[in-house]
Amino acid sequence: MLTVEGVSKRFGPLLALDGVGLEVQRGEIVGFLGPNGAGKTTTMRAIMGLLTIDAGQVTWQGSPVDAAARQRFGYMPAERGMYQRMKVREHLVYYGRLSGLTAAAAATTADTWLERLGLGARGGDTVQSLSSGNQQRVQLALALINEPDLLVLDEPFAGLDPIAVETLSEVLREQVANGVALLLSSHQLDLVAEVCSAVVIVDQGRVVLQGDVNQLRATSPHRYVEVEFATPTAPIWGDASVSGGGRRHRISVSGDVDPAVMIDDARAHGRLVGYSFSPPDLSEVFLSAVGRTTVEVHGAADDAEPS
Amino acid sequence: MSDRNAMSSRAVIRLVAGREINQRLRVKSFYITTGLLVLFILAVGVVTRLAGDDDAPGVIDVAVVLDEAGDVDADVFRDVQDALEASAAAVDRGATVQFFDDIEAAQVALEDGDVDVAIDAVGQRALFDGGVDQEVFAVVQQAWALVELRTSLSDAGLEPEQIDDALTVTPLAAESVGGDEGPSGLAVLTGTLAAIMLFLSLQTFGTYVLTGVVEEKSSAVVEVLLVRARADQLLAGKVIGIGVAALTQFALAVAAGMVSLGLSGVTVPSEVWSALPITVLWFLGGFALYSTLFALAGSLVSRQEEAQTAAAPIMYALVAAYLLVFIFGYVPESMASTIMSLIPPIAPLLMPMRMAAGAASLVEVVVALVLLLAATVATWKLAARIYEQVLLRRGSRISWREALRLLRPERAGRSGASAKRK
Repeated sequence: MLTVEGVSKRFGPLLALDGVGLEVQRGEIVGFLGPNGAGKTTTMRAIMGLLTIDAGQVTWQGSPVDAAARQRFGYMPAERGMYQRMKVREHLVYYGRLSGLTAAAAATTADTWLERLGLGARGGDTVQSLSSGNQQRVQLALALINEPDLLVLDEPFAGLDPIAVETLSEVLREQVANGVALLLSSHQLDLVAEVCSAVVIVDQGRVVLQGDVNQLRATSPHRYVEVEFATPTAPIWGDASVSGGGRRHRISVSGDVDPAVMIDDARAHGRLVGYSFSPPDLSEVFLSAVGRTTVEVHGAADDAEPS
Repeated sequence: MSDRNAMSSRAVIRLVAGREINQRLRVKSFYITTGLLVLFILAVGVVTRLAGDDDAPGVIDVAVVLDEAGDVDADVFRDVQDALEASAAAVDRGATVQFFDDIEAAQVALEDGDVDVAIDAVGQRALFDGGVDQEVFAVVQQAWALVELRTSLSDAGLEPEQIDDALTVTPLAAESVGGDEGPSGLAVLTGTLAAIMLFLSLQTFGTYVLTGVVEEKSSAVVEVLLVRARADQLLAGKVIGIGVAALTQFALAVAAGMVSLGLSGVTVPSEVWSALPITVLWFLGGFALYSTLFALAGSLVSRQEEAQTAAAPIMYALVAAYLLVFIFGYVPESMASTIMSLIPPIAPLLMPMRMAAGAASLVEVVVALVLLLAATVATWKLAARIYEQVLLRRGSRISWREALRLLRPERAGRSGASAKRK
């Protein structure tokens, strides 16, 4: 199990991490969420020993993480980093050997991953000749080359097409089924909800919420009621959002509201073709955890740098 | 697992260096440059040999115009021939003699290069094509004196045997005791070429180190590498790997230089023979020092466009050291030259020239090497400390002043993303 306890890091005037703590069990995928600049990358770099931390500690299986333990970690940085003019397979073998594999073992593993990720024919090509999506697959293979016990992936889904996302999710589930502990950051919350069993949400260097995804959703004090009419209907609830040409009406309600009452109320306005009563989805949990309403975050997202 | 080994520091450095060597040896231009260099150096030797090969080397061809009328008896021919051969032998050379009836024909032979000198017995002068070759002139001068003397003695009534006895002299052996005759032309030429070659190699391969480090930093591959290797191991691997490729090329050039000297047929002073192989050692030392600095310059920038700017101070230092060779290399015995050749950044370029001239004592060479080694180790230690603190700091160029400030212990912890770890 990976344990991060009370980790703080200051860059000049900026307190990037302020006592971050989280845990990742073996066989578990933990989603690491937070707005841009919240401290996700810094935390991941701290786990990988890429920076000195001012306070706190990082342990693996109860012992402080040292170089030997990191030989068993796999890392994919947010900014993809490869020798552009090196051949793909050679790059993998080189990194495998740096990870302590023999030349033969590194070559075997490299071939296995190239095949598995659909790059079997591209091993002899230079990295720079690959599309960005394929480069990302190679980057993932680099993280996997040493058959790691812990995987730390910084935005592994960014920029991937749906097919690549599917391949990646499949590979990651397989890894976790084999007992790997996996921490991944992402801004694609629907994907996180689908792939991760637990999430850690950070904001301004602090963990603001963490736990099992479904539990977090279930324990939210809010529920959503959505009804769909057969024909466009004028707003029936004052602050509801209306979509689908006036046919779909959605409103956030307190968790103790009786859904049957809401539906009866709606039925009085027209013929219903569908209805739902559900806990908030992950993005709503996220937004309330980082203290922003949907509107504010949409505004903030426009200013944010693309990552 | 049995296929997974704990990596020793040496194994990591070997892997990193191995990648550098592979990448370098993969580039066709490396072979082309090396091949052309070796061929060029060999060609110089061959051309020198061919140019000097019209005759057996060392033979002086003399034209003699004794008498415009042409009625000279055979004894005189023999005497002139003997006298020229004897005086040429005194300077380890041979002589051939051609007799001409008129001065014009002798001059034509001279201008065509058939003869090295023409003696006009009537006008009592020696004619040269262009400049006067002092050694040839001394030889004919002495032969002329011999013939004159023999004629005078004969006129005085001595028998030929008596004259032979009288003229038998044991020549003086020439020995130099002062040792301040100055470097030979060949020593200066070899030393200059060695300095040029050293400068070009240090600059070329130093630039490879520079751009290689910038490539790693700009492509963010360092972030992946630093998970597996320490910054100082990456630095060592890079310098050693490119150094091996550089040394291979340089050693081949030096070997070609020695073969070329052997082929040229020129008499090579022993100092030149011994200085040449040691040039490789100077290259090693110079490369270790300069490429460490080039690597450090590369670690300060995140874009290739800024690499030259960051490396400018080092490039200036290298060019300055190179230019000093052309001032102090030609006065290798002077105190100033001696002192300059001990200064670590200058020594690798200047010392080979002083050694080729036979001007550097063993003590000076050893002191210069020790100083260079010490300077390299010190530079290395400082560079490694800065390197690990700046490798992950992307963005705008870090100035040298700022980089040096990182060496202060109280600031080290507050720097950006330092890559320190156990």
